[in-house]
Amino acid sequence: EDASLPAPQNISILSTNMKHFLTWTPVMVQGETVRYSVEFQGEYERVYGGESWIPISECSPIAATVCNITEDISATVAYRLRVRAQLGARTSPWATLKGFFNRITTSLTPPVMKVIADGYHLLVELEDMGPAFQFRVLYWKKGQERRVQQKVLKEVSSVLHLDTMEAGADYCVKAQTYVEAINRSSSFSQTQCVRAQGGTPMWL
Amino acid sequence: TTGNKIFHFGACRVSMSMAEIRAGFTAIKANIQARDPIRTLSILSYPHSLHKVKSSDRCCITHHLLNFYVGKVFKHCKTEDLYVNRKISSIANSFLSMKRKLGQCHEQNRCRCGQESTEKLKQILANYEGLNVTSAAMKSLGELDILLDWME
Repeated sequence: EDASLPAPQNISILSTNMKHFLTWTPVMVQGETVRYSVEFQGEYERVYGGESWIPISECSPIAATVCNITEDISATVAYRLRVRAQLGARTSPWATLKGFFNRITTSLTPPVMKVIADGYHLLVELEDMGPAFQFRVLYWKKGQERRVQQKVLKEVSSVLHLDTMEAGADYCVKAQTYVEAINRSSSFSQTQCVRAQGGTPMWL
Repeated sequence: TTGNKIFHFGACRVSMSMAEIRAGFTAIKANIQARDPIRTLSILSYPHSLHKVKSSDRCCITHHLLNFYVGKVFKHCKTEDLYVNRKISSIANSFLSMKRKLGQCHEQNRCRCGQESTEKLKQILANYEGLNVTSAAMKSLGELDILLDWME
């Protein structure tokens, strides 16, 4: 095996909302397209599987310097990842991510949320973030911050009916995500307030 | 959702991502079961179904079956198909995660093994050792839905 190609550098993971990507800096060869192959090793492979590595076929080979590893990081255990460069028959040594990656460290962002006052009905629309996500929605009548109510959504339906509002009153809503597989929650979204229809017109 | 559920095995409460395991298994079930020519034999269900196990023995049986799959079965299921191997890795790592969670409870002596579960586990091991190792491992993997159904 002619290993004259330099190994990729700066291997790192970008993981947000349970979507995980391996990235690295390109190996430059003048006038040539260098390709890369990515492999992973779960804790099972390390402890019981003879430290074997498993290729990720969607990224073996690729010309890009990023690989979506989400589908293979499908357990809450420590994974190792590695990438190497190849150009024709020439391959580089493997470059291995420093340390391990466990999906428990994914960064969770607050959900994108839209609050709607539909007449007297307080509705909320939440972004579908995939099957791993549940949502905790808090809502209250403005001025009654001590009487916060909560709804937990295990699955995202298009619109959620939260409450029937008093005429002309203001209601506020905020939400966070919860990922049961890693037992973690995001921070809360910005609070959004809406006003129910009706109430005493200003000029009376 | 991911179908991450809290499972009660006797005094043990364990949260498990069943949907991810089922999705991984469903993706390769036909491929794996096609590699098992002896359809008349069962590793898990002979002579009696898992469903006959008393609920007080559920924790012990689950603990030992997770050990059985992680320690014995998965390592002999390597195939020439990369996609299948990736899914087996996904299942194996999920089982390892579950095994660890349940193991903690087992160590705190809240996962006792009664006479019946000991007998059942002996029978499963005898069924397994009655076949050559690759056939036994493939058959056991092909019966994963039996185990998952029973666990759920």
